[in-house]
Amino acid sequence: MAYVNVSRDPERNWKNGYLATSMLGLGTTLVTFTKQVFGLEESNTVQWPEVEYQYSDRFKGAHFLTKRPDGRVRCTACFLCATNCPAQCITIVAGESPDKGVEKYPVRFEIDILRCVFCGYCEEACPVDAIRLGPEYSMAGLAERKWVYTKDYLLERDAVKRKVGEKQVSKKDENVKHDSVDSALPNIHLTHTGGGH
Amino acid sequence: MSNQVTLSINNQPVTVPAGSTIIEAAQKAGVSVPHFCWHPGLSIAGVCRFCMVKVEGMPKLQIACNTPATEGMKVDTLSDEVKETHKWALEFHLINHPLDCPICDQAGECELQNYYMKVGKYQAQMEDQKVLKPKALDVGDTLVLDTERCILCSRCVRFEDEVTKTSTLGIFNRGDQATIGTYPERKIKHNYSYNLADICPVGAFTAKDFRFKCRVWFLKETKTVCPGCSTGCSVNLFQNSSQREYYRLKPRHNAEVNGHWMCDTGRTMYEHLNASSRLASPQLEGQSISSAAAMQAVTDAAKGLAADKVALVLTAQFTNEEYVASLSALKSVLKSAPKVFIWRDESEKSDDFDGILFRGDRNPNTRGMMDVLKEHGITATVLKGDYAPLAAAAPELTLILAPEVESAYPNLAKAVGRFSELKKTVYFGNALTDSAKKLWLRIPVKTFAEKSGTFVNFNGVAQKLKANPAVFANVKGVDEYFGDLSRLAQSAV
Repeated sequence: MAYVNVSRDPERNWKNGYLATSMLGLGTTLVTFTKQVFGLEESNTVQWPEVEYQYSDRFKGAHFLTKRPDGRVRCTACFLCATNCPAQCITIVAGESPDKGVEKYPVRFEIDILRCVFCGYCEEACPVDAIRLGPEYSMAGLAERKWVYTKDYLLERDAVKRKVGEKQVSKKDENVKHDSVDSALPNIHLTHTGGGH
Repeated sequence: MSNQVTLSINNQPVTVPAGSTIIEAAQKAGVSVPHFCWHPGLSIAGVCRFCMVKVEGMPKLQIACNTPATEGMKVDTLSDEVKETHKWALEFHLINHPLDCPICDQAGECELQNYYMKVGKYQAQMEDQKVLKPKALDVGDTLVLDTERCILCSRCVRFEDEVTKTSTLGIFNRGDQATIGTYPERKIKHNYSYNLADICPVGAFTAKDFRFKCRVWFLKETKTVCPGCSTGCSVNLFQNSSQREYYRLKPRHNAEVNGHWMCDTGRTMYEHLNASSRLASPQLEGQSISSAAAMQAVTDAAKGLAADKVALVLTAQFTNEEYVASLSALKSVLKSAPKVFIWRDESEKSDDFDGILFRGDRNPNTRGMMDVLKEHGITATVLKGDYAPLAAAAPELTLILAPEVESAYPNLAKAVGRFSELKKTVYFGNALTDSAKKLWLRIPVKTFAEKSGTFVNFNGVAQKLKANPAVFANVKGVDEYFGDLSRLAQSAV
């Protein structure tokens, strides 16, 4: 009957020992270091926070709320993000908008960022492109910081403005409205010309 | 000739009274036929053309709501032909529908949405722009009308014509320009307006009272009884259970009591249930104490008193079980029955009736209370604007089962002021008015939404309440408090 003797590691010899492998690793470090000192190779290390890493545009960082072209909040308080949120971190209080073309708007819109898991389901559920996960990824802070992001904070974020700029204003299509609707803005619902519901 | 007919629906035999329609027979057989314009409480319009069924021997599909069932009729609701018809009928309804479901309050309980998921699921073939119509119209103190969402089923028009007979609404213009609207210079002004929001199969009518407050899929319903008046309509009470917040009441069909409807006054019966309008803990001379300490104080006060020095003031807003519990507890503690008074509001006109549902007697359980008192052989004195009989009895201890729905007692503050002049008054209720602060002891009690029990309406129909979890965990029902009283009195002996 054939058997394998496992009492001794067949790989075990002086070449796989501690000293030899350490020297091998140090050699690699020394070679890379020398190359980088003489500019023969570029470093992959980002000198954060002086230099910021450029993530892809699709990166899902902290949320922001998009605006209509006139600067008002785009959200219509439909609660679909709050319903879809697996962490239940979104709190919305809806109210009657003075603008009849909008009808409904969020009086309060809050995200408990400590509960958020950055899954992006809110962004996916939103029918009016009002919430997006932004490029901001460094959100560390002390315990006394306010960890519930309010509507005003989500709308006016310097980090978002700096990185996204004009993209913060949603260009999503808007419908025309009936004359009876007393509003400066078009209706929020999408133009529907075929193509399924 | 028999006045019953037997037909078969999907090969399932069903017997219905002669003159019934196919849709009624289908309902009896447990077969659901999609419909918009048909409503069991209204006349037949047959305008939505959605309830198409195949009847054997008829060349074309027939509408189930307006085709009388006949003996031996063979109806089919499952064939591909019927399904295709439903699908395309639905597309016609959605041609000009704005699909603003995200901001529409009906989303989640919308029949268009439900039927789209059930029988629709097609790719729209409409290429033209939707017709735009007036939105967010103010049609009265209680309702907002969005004519774009309307599918012209005319249920609301028929409701106004047939149930309230106010005829405020009509369909104007023709073809794709047809809109629902109020006649010029007229608004929906009657006590049954929220029923329009209920029967509207889409979100054309939305209730101002509920608009934008909560999405319907967060709400859970409880089958209970409206405490608004002695009619005692069967209702569903809607609560957001994660917030412990009540949002609305809707009528529940009960042929014996309210049919399909309920009044707007009854719709406000959720307001006093939420924490903000309630007393959270017992108040002894203005100081918050525990329920146990409160009942101990009542027991101490009752100890050694003769039965005629204790007065029990009842209002007809409690369940039969609570009256029985309080009377029998007092009987066992005092060795005989106390003096019993019935508190009615002085403005009450108990025989008033609006001809539909709402009654002048704003207490849900007058009949039940009278029955319990009769059973216990007690003759009660009625206090209605005149509190002299109570003062004349000079009670050492007065126990008041105060009205839970305080809006039904417009002169509550005055009455509470008079009660506070008495020696020791124990007020089982939520009064938060200033005059209530002078009362000796105030004990909050469970509301109709939080207790099980029985209400007997004006007509003698007994209906059960169903309990939800209490808003305040420490607040007990009257029956539990009086149970504590008799237990404490016994252990003291």
